[in-house]
Amino acid sequence: MTSTAPEHAFATIAEGDRFQGEAFTPSRETIKRFAEASLDFNPLHFDDDFMAGDFGKTNFGGVIMHGMQNFALVTRTLTDWLIPRGGYHRRLETRWLMPVKPGDTITPHIVVSEKRQTEKGRVIAFDVEVLNQKEERVATGRAMAEFPDKLPVAPSDRPAA
Amino acid sequence: MQDTPLGAFETDFWKDAAQRQTWDEIIPGMPRDTRPYLLTKEIIATFAKAMGETNPLYFDEDYARTTPYGGIVAPPSIHILLMFACTGTEDWMRSPGTINASQSWFYNVPARPGDTITMQGRALDRYMRKGRLFVIHDNIFTNQHGQVICTGRGWTIRPN
Repeated sequence: MTSTAPEHAFATIAEGDRFQGEAFTPSRETIKRFAEASLDFNPLHFDDDFMAGDFGKTNFGGVIMHGMQNFALVTRTLTDWLIPRGGYHRRLETRWLMPVKPGDTITPHIVVSEKRQTEKGRVIAFDVEVLNQKEERVATGRAMAEFPDKLPVAPSDRPAA
Repeated sequence: MQDTPLGAFETDFWKDAAQRQTWDEIIPGMPRDTRPYLLTKEIIATFAKAMGETNPLYFDEDYARTTPYGGIVAPPSIHILLMFACTGTEDWMRSPGTINASQSWFYNVPARPGDTITMQGRALDRYMRKGRLFVIHDNIFTNQHGQVICTGRGWTIRPN
């Protein structure tokens, strides 16, 4: 049997391998850009007067970054690592532990936590942590990727060139 | 309605806020009203750029055709946009003060330019914990071939 590129890439990955994403510093401008591209205009992210108030027992003390910006940053970290290796991003779950505010700097940290060959696939699981500039965990999560011989892509509706 | 890079959209989430279901009114199992959304190359590029993506797979058709993807695809995180694009101003996910506590997503096949995306969504459960009002919801996005793009589950803290 000839070894495929994804099979080879999978063989070179080991449990405990680590990588990290690009550091990201949100500002009111990046929050606006995120809102315009995601259509999420919740006043949590814009309205200083609204954010001065209490949310039950929580007071954020100012506008906060979209949690999904964090999610998208982790996704990008994973796909930028996976796609050149022939890996396919299958799954991401995250929990938000602390709000992120304009001026904070957050960085995703990823560890390969598990690797196994299933009956028909090659599967890798990751532990995810997003840390702020004080090394506090602002989000944690888990992710999963596969290294299939053929990517599970839908047929393109566009005629071939 | 205001102009946005993705077209006219009601960006004032206070407007119609009174018409949205509150935590008390949300019925787990009842489908949310949704509408199909046509995903274009331009929308994918705008979204990908705002997420900081730099892979030409999301922007450059000539390059993307040389990859195993066979053409431009949307980044997996496109569901962040699709949830708002497929729902209306009455949808309770727009309620000011809705706080995202946790999300889990599974990706089946990527979305492509020209796809008409359909969303099915509903609350699954609601509960109170340590003084906070939670709703669990799930979303399923499919393309015009009936293929599942992705499925997600989320936990939000509802405004009081």
